[in-house]
Parts: sequence; structure tokens; C-alpha cells
Amino acid sequence: MTTTSQPPAAGAVVAPVTAPGPVRQDDDGRRPRWQRVLFVLALVAAAVVFLLPFVWLVGASLRPREYVFAPGLLPTPFAPDNYARAWDAMPLFTWLFNSVVVGVAAAAAATLSSAWVAFGFAYFRFPGRNLLFGLVLATMMLPFAVTMIPTYLIWNRLGLVDTQVPLWAGNLFGSAFYIFLLRQFFLSLPREYFEAARVDGAGYPQLFWRMAFPLVRPALLVAFVFEFKASWTDLVKPLIYLRNEQLYTLPRGLKVILDRFGYGGEQQWEVVLAASVIATVPMIILFFLAQRHFVEGIATGGRKG
Amino acid sequence: MATTTVTPAVPGRRRRASLARREARWAYLFLAPWIVGFLAFTAGPMIASLWLSFTEYDVINSPRFTGLDNYRQLMSDPQVARSLGNTVYYTALHVPLVMAISLGLALLLKRVGRLSGFFRTVFYLPVMTPAVAVGILFLLLLNTQDGLINRGLALVGIDGPSWTTDPDWVMPGIVLMSLWSLGSTVIIYLAALQGVPRDLYEAAQLDGAGAWARFRHVTLPMISGALFFTLIVNTIASLQMFTEVYTMYFGNRQTAGSFSSDAASFYVIHLFREAFQFLHMGFASAMAWLLFLIILVITLVQVKLGNRFVYYEGEDR
Amino acid sequence: MSRKLRATALAGVLTLAISGCGGVGGGGDSGGGGAEGSGALSTMGFSLSDEIATTRVDAFKRDHGDVRLTITEGAFDEQQFLSAVASGNPPDLVYMDRKLIGTYAERGSIQPLTDCVEKQRVDMAEYRQSAREQVTLDGTVYGIPEFSQVRVLYLNEALLKRAGLGADDVNLADWAGLPALNARLAAVSGGRLSRIGIDPKIPEFLPMWAKANGADMISADGTRANLTDPKVVEALTTGVGLIQAQGGWGKFKSFRDTFDFFGAQNPLAKNQIAAWPMEEWFLNQAAKNSPDAELVVKPFVDRQGKPLSLSSGQAWVVTKGAKNPEAACAFVKQMTATDTWLAAARARAEARKAANLPFTGLWTGNTTADKKIFDEVYKPTGNKRFDDAVQTIRQAQDAAFAMPASPAGAEFDKAWTDAVNRVLSGQEQPAQALDRAQREATAALDKAAD
Repeated sequence: MTTTSQPPAAGAVVAPVTAPGPVRQDDDGRRPRWQRVLFVLALVAAAVVFLLPFVWLVGASLRPREYVFAPGLLPTPFAPDNYARAWDAMPLFTWLFNSVVVGVAAAAAATLSSAWVAFGFAYFRFPGRNLLFGLVLATMMLPFAVTMIPTYLIWNRLGLVDTQVPLWAGNLFGSAFYIFLLRQFFLSLPREYFEAARVDGAGYPQLFWRMAFPLVRPALLVAFVFEFKASWTDLVKPLIYLRNEQLYTLPRGLKVILDRFGYGGEQQWEVVLAASVIATVPMIILFFLAQRHFVEGIATGGRKG
Repeated sequence: MATTTVTPAVPGRRRRASLARREARWAYLFLAPWIVGFLAFTAGPMIASLWLSFTEYDVINSPRFTGLDNYRQLMSDPQVARSLGNTVYYTALHVPLVMAISLGLALLLKRVGRLSGFFRTVFYLPVMTPAVAVGILFLLLLNTQDGLINRGLALVGIDGPSWTTDPDWVMPGIVLMSLWSLGSTVIIYLAALQGVPRDLYEAAQLDGAGAWARFRHVTLPMISGALFFTLIVNTIASLQMFTEVYTMYFGNRQTAGSFSSDAASFYVIHLFREAFQFLHMGFASAMAWLLFLIILVITLVQVKLGNRFVYYEGEDR
Repeated sequence: MSRKLRATALAGVLTLAISGCGGVGGGGDSGGGGAEGSGALSTMGFSLSDEIATTRVDAFKRDHGDVRLTITEGAFDEQQFLSAVASGNPPDLVYMDRKLIGTYAERGSIQPLTDCVEKQRVDMAEYRQSAREQVTLDGTVYGIPEFSQVRVLYLNEALLKRAGLGADDVNLADWAGLPALNARLAAVSGGRLSRIGIDPKIPEFLPMWAKANGADMISADGTRANLTDPKVVEALTTGVGLIQAQGGWGKFKSFRDTFDFFGAQNPLAKNQIAAWPMEEWFLNQAAKNSPDAELVVKPFVDRQGKPLSLSSGQAWVVTKGAKNPEAACAFVKQMTATDTWLAAARARAEARKAANLPFTGLWTGNTTADKKIFDEVYKPTGNKRFDDAVQTIRQAQDAAFAMPASPAGAEFDKAWTDAVNRVLSGQEQPAQALDRAQREATAALDKAAD
């Protein structure tokens, strides 16, 4: 079936790059058992170091104010009402909701537009294609600071500062990394498949929407979860564009909580910590739901970059 | 790029030509969103920002052309120099450390077989933590007297430094924080290591190569592509460090002024404050262009050096 | 897409981007308007956080039913404020620290209130002298002052007794004796600071220490810095010495950062600090959270033993480009009027009474209001410690000085604050740091004077 001349990486129909599966055997199974045990112990030690900050964060967020800095990791004495206090002190629910809305809008916009553009790069042959694609890749290297100010001036001119529009609308025009990623996937689809549909009278948008789009669903998910995470974590754009606290996303709100309840404020660290946990948990859940897609996206970027 | 060469068998040159034209039209229609976006949000702003860098502009009043004034000030401003120095110092510490530790972890992960999935998850979780939360968390972990880190050091008899107030230790503290989030690099290296064909190791072993020789002459060349990629990506990213440090040391709290902010000043943070806190849009634009040039030069140098060392397995570049 | 088309698109984008740079300021009298203000009115930087705020805002709403008031809550944020001004759609009113007013007035982001004061007959003489100085630049009024914060010396008598001392043994006039006193009060052991003896509260309170030593850090007209004065250097050296003797800045600050000034486990209750100058509001917190603590409040004094205090506070300003300056003026007038303050003080007193807590007064920028509050609303709590403290604070209010408004106030502030931080973190010696601060401040002040 895959007889066309495809890029070397493209083997399977759907996934041109296989994720580094955890079940894969290591290179030499002849290693002595004691060595293996040593490796596992080393990894356990590293894992403990990586997990300690989380454990402390959760533990301290559940302690009364005067015990936040106490030695130890456990939530003793136990003060779960820190969360209720954080929830009441600031509009956390509104911010959570805003983050979800902005995140979905940003991720959907980036995924759809990037797929559309990527299909253009993968399917068609036209003058200037390689040059344009090179330009796409080049924009990945561009520091955001260079375009930050004029972009702000554009949104300001359009009267959209202090709305959430600038937080996601820029994604409607495709995003270099996802265009690159999805193009790889589109390239792996056998061309005859589309030619046949063309002969049957299908238009190009149909080729894209009915055939190509569903076939690269895993890659679309990669793009979606990555952009959702990027949007969820972003502080810069909300810092530049949002004034009204009711419009804040979680990171922006968290920064306000730190400024108001942390240093220079009222030093209610337990509120700051509880809010930090609330902002983090959705991302952890997302990771466990979509772990495969995150790993795949990163590995692809690393391999193909 | 190697792409498909299959051409539908269409008789007649004219029909074929018109088809090609039609196809090209559609191609541009598919590319249109990106082209529009590129012009409106990349190329246009770049030109606008270059122009602004020669003006004095506070958004409220019209820009005033001032020639090279901003660039002259850029060269003599001690705060710009300090923030640039800090940023380079951070990058020089952060990038090699991230690469070395990640490679070590990836090598271990590769050797534990099925268990690697669990550990990989652990190493990646910090990457999922929102950067603002990371900043807050480490601000407290780095507390001199009561932070977890210095309490840990005290256990082994070390009187930990003042991570957040001693200007000599602020940057190492930030590097420490940055190392927590190295999970992506680990995953890239693990994927690369798993891509190394096993027969290469077997052949090397037959030739009598020891563990170090195998690592040096098989593993390293085979994953040099991944090493090179992470070198470039991590360098570019750390030259643009913003969120975590801004969370910890800047923002509204700045007015309280109870700490030395110079020591934590990063280039992009200084740029951001010049632009949006003081509305020195012209000067900030000049700063942005300087950063762009610095990144461009560093990347070009890295690519040039990289091409000498990186082994590309049968890939046509 | 042809080359022509592409060129056109590029030109379009550029036009958009560059025209975005056009001026958007100006325009003061569009929209709203009307005598005494009707229409919409918006504020920034102010929060309806307690009964003092809500009572006064309600009073305004009651009397101005035709004004649609929007209060965007949250602390003043410089970046958000400037972004709002830049967007050409700023809030009418901003609530900010008085020390920032000079800089914004100089940059033209806020407007003079000359008209407001005149037309709506705001009696500036009612406001405290020190507060008035902070909102007046070059003889022009730019803000209407709200609260008046002063600093007094708090002592934890329980800790003093433990060290074999009494409240009278703490003599802030005797700088030479401070290190020995501090050594007796502080607890540093094994490299760990577990109790602060004397907290000089620098950088924040350096102007007060300098004044106590007979030096003004900036000239009365706010145009010349005086940071290299040996008396300022001496004040800084003294303050830094106290901190160095308590484990150094790193330990000192990290310990203080864990304090909970607003809770039951405050440093007074936990015996974490013995003597410290601080704003008057801590008395309020102490009365609420630690009514049984052995708190003594004394005036901060100069080296001759004369009471002295640093005054500061917030003010209302009207932005350049405000759509409804008339209503804005009516709002600030009512918010700071004697009757309004009095009603707010009553609401606070009742709220405290309902919670079975003492009412320890309210200090505003309006002297008439303060007098009436203490004559009519305030009643001694019966707890001698708190009652004496209230009297001490009232005296401090009258003995307070303020940093004068300066066209480069923000830059001046940053220059000396950074200098103190450099000394605290051990990078520079006091004289050297203040020398550099003097240069930086002078450059900023000269630039503003141009």
C-alpha cells in the first residue's frame, strides 16, 4: 500500500514516528542483576528529589498558617479549610473557568488552522513551497519579545485590550510547530488514496476535512493538548492584555494572590499554596489522560527538529 | 524534501497546465491563514518594532524619531548590561546542567526496561506545573531559614546560602529551580537512545569496546542529533526566561522594595518592564532587536559547530 | 496569491501596525458630563474590602443615584494603570500611593484638580499638612488624600521583662546604645535567628531614621536629592548594623517573611520580635487578634528624644482622558468628606462592638474628620495598653512629616531603595551605595526638570 516515495521516517499510515514506548526492552539484557538493581535505586533517588517539592507543596497547603514553614512534609496539624479560604478570598472559580475557555479556544484555533495549513504544505506542489516552509520553521526561532510590542499596539488599536481575545485569536493563523508536526503526519498518508477520491470528484476541502483530518487524529490531539497546556501556563499575555480581575486566567490570578497574600502583602502563605495546588491539579489530570500525546509530541520535536 | 512523485495521468499539456494552476490556487488558499498571520503578527510587527526602536514612544503621545539614541543608551545602560549578564550567566549554567542531568537520567531509564514508564512520568510532572506555581513553590523552598532546601542541607551539616537575598546566590537558586523542569529533555534523549540500533552495540562489543568506548563511539554519535536539538532549544528558551523569575521577584510587590531586584533581573523581564511598566516602547523595541540579534548569532554559531559534530543517520538535509 | 497581492497585504498590515502608534490621549470632555456628574464613573486600584470602604461608597451612591459607578477591585498596579491610559479608555479615578503622584503628574498621565477644588469647593485646608504636601506638585493639586498612616514604635513588654528591661529602657534617641540593647533582646543561636531584637524596618523607613538624625533625603520642593549627607549615611549604617548583628539580611528577611502580622499567631503573640517601628494599623490587628498581649506603643523619636513620624497614604487621582471628571470630583470629595468618614468610623465601631472587639480609632487625611471621630465615636476600650497606644498614635499624627511630592518620585524612591538593598546584601558599603543612588536620583530629577 505504501509504495509512494515518502520521507524515510514514514512507515505506518498514521503515525510516522512511534513514541518511545515504556515497554520497549533495553539494548542489552545481559546486564547482571545487581547492576540493574543499582540503576533502579539511582532512579528512585532521583524520583524522590523530583517529587519532594510536590509533596511539600501539598503538605504545606494543608497546614495552618503558622505551620507552613514548620519542618516536615506532612499536613500536621491538618487544615483543609485553607482551600475553602483561598476559594472564598479570590474568584478562583471564575479564573478556572476563564482558563478552560481560553485554553480550549487557543488549542482549537491552533489545531484547526495549523492542520489546514499543514495539509497545504503536505499535499500541494507549488512555486515557493520550500521557501515558505523554511519561513514557517524560521519563525520558531524568533523571540516573542520582538513582536510583543507591535502586537500589543495592534490589539490596542482594535480596542481589544482588556478582553480575552488577544489570548487566543493569534492562534487562528496557525502555529509553526504544529504546522511542522502535522505536515509530517500528512506526508505519511499515501497519495493514491487522495488521487482516487479526486477522480471521484471530491474537492480539496473535502479531501482535507473528510479524509486527511480524521486520519491524523492522534497528531491533532498532540497539538491540542500541547497548546492547551501552553495557554494554561501562560503569564505574559494575560499580564499584558488583562486588567479586569474578572477576566483573569489562573496564572495571572495566582500572581495576584502571591502579590496580595504573599510577600509585601498579608503573608498568608497557606492561601497562596492552596491556590497553587488548585492551579496545578488540572494540568496533572490532563497529563495522566493524555500522557501518550505529550510524550509523542516532545519526542517528535526532538527527533525531527 | 523528498516528496511524492506520483502524477495523475492526465492527457494534454494544456489541461495539465490549467490543473496545476488550479492546484496552486488551492494551495495558497490552504496557506492563506498562515500567510496572513505571518504578515500581520510576525513580519509586520518586526518591521514596526525595528522602526519603533529608532523613536521615543509612550503610546499616549505620537512616536518621535530619535535616531540611534535608544541604541546608544542600550550600550551604556548599566541595568541592561546587568540583566544581559545575568541572562548569559544563567544560560551558561542552565543549559549544560540540564543536558548532562537529563542524559544521565535517560541512560538510567533506558536500562530499567518496563519500569521506565513510571519514572518518566515522575520526571515530566514538574513540566506540567504552571510556571507561576513553580515560581511560588521555589520562592518558599528557597527560604533561607525555613525552606525545604536549606533544611535539607542542614541535615548534612551545611549552612545553606541566602538563595533569595544574597545577590551571589540568587542566580544559582534560579538555576536550581529550572533543573526541576527538565523532563522534556529527558524524554527527547530517551527516544533518541531507544532509536540506536542494537546491532551497533553488539558489533562494538565484538570489537572489544568497553562500556565507556561504546558510550563514546556509539551512543554519543548516534544521539548527537538530539543533543544538538536540545542545545539549541534550551539555549533559546533560557535566553528568554521570564515567567518563573517574574513571579518570584517582580510585579506589583516591587513597590514594597524589600529585596534586591538587580540580582534577579533577566533581559526579557527588564524589556517587559521598560515596555509596559514605564511605557518606554521605543527603548524596549531596541532591546528586543538586540536580543533577536544575539539569539540569531548564537544559534548560527551553534548550527555551524553542530554540523561538524552531529551525525545524521541517512537523512538528506 | 500574486506578488502584487502580497505586497498589498503587507502594506495593509504595516499601516495597521504603524497607525496603531498614533496618539490616543487627549479628550477629556466627551461622554457623560453634566453638572456634579451623572453618567458612568469607573475606578481602579480600590477595593471594597471592609466597612470603611463600603460605607463611604454607599453614601456616594445614595446621593448620586444617576451615576453608574463601576469599581474594578484590586490593588493599584502600575502596569495596568499605564496600559489603561494607553488604551485611550482609562478609568476616571485611580486610587494610588501618594508618593507616586509627582511622577505621574510630571508624565502627564493624571490631571490637575485645580478645577475640581475650585468648582466643587473642596476645602484643602481640612486635609493634613503632610498629606497635602504629597499631592501637590509645584503648587498644583493632583490628588485628594485618603488615609493617613504613621509609624510608631511597638514593644513587646513580655520580652523586655525577660531580658530584665522595661519599656522605658528602650531609648531610640540613643543610637550608640542600640546595638547593646538589640543584643539583649534578639535570639541568635547556632546560626539561626529565632527572635528579632530591634527591627529597623529598612529600606522602607530609612527616611524616618535619616530625619531623626536631622537630614531630609530630598529637598522640600522635591527637586534635589540629598542622599550623600553624612547624616543619611550614618542612619543607614546604624540600621544595617542592627540587621547584620542578627544573622545578616538573608536570615533576617527570611525569618520576617514567615511572620503572620494579620493573624492570631502574629509575631507579638509568638514572641518573635521585641521592638519594631511599624504603621499604626498594627494596633488594630493586635487589638483584634491578641487583646491580651503585653504591647506597649511609644513614639518613634529623633536623636534629641523628640517624637517624630513618617506619614504616608493613598490618594485619589483623576486620569488624563477621564470621561467624567465632574462625577470623579464629586466622588472624591464625598469619599473624603468629614461626614462620610464619620459614618464609616461609626460603622467600624459597630462592627467591632458586634464582634466583641475594641475599636481603636481611624486615622484619615482629613483633620476635622479625625477630631470628630475621636470626640464622638471613639471610646476608650478600658484596656490601658490600647488606650495609651491610641493617644500615642494621635500625637504621632501631628508630629509626622512626609516625603514631598517629586516630579521623579518613583525614580528617586527606587534609587535609594536599591542602594539600601545593595548594602543589606553586602555588595556595597553605605557611603558607596548612597553615592550611586545620589547620582541615579539626580539624573532622574534633572531629566524630569527639563
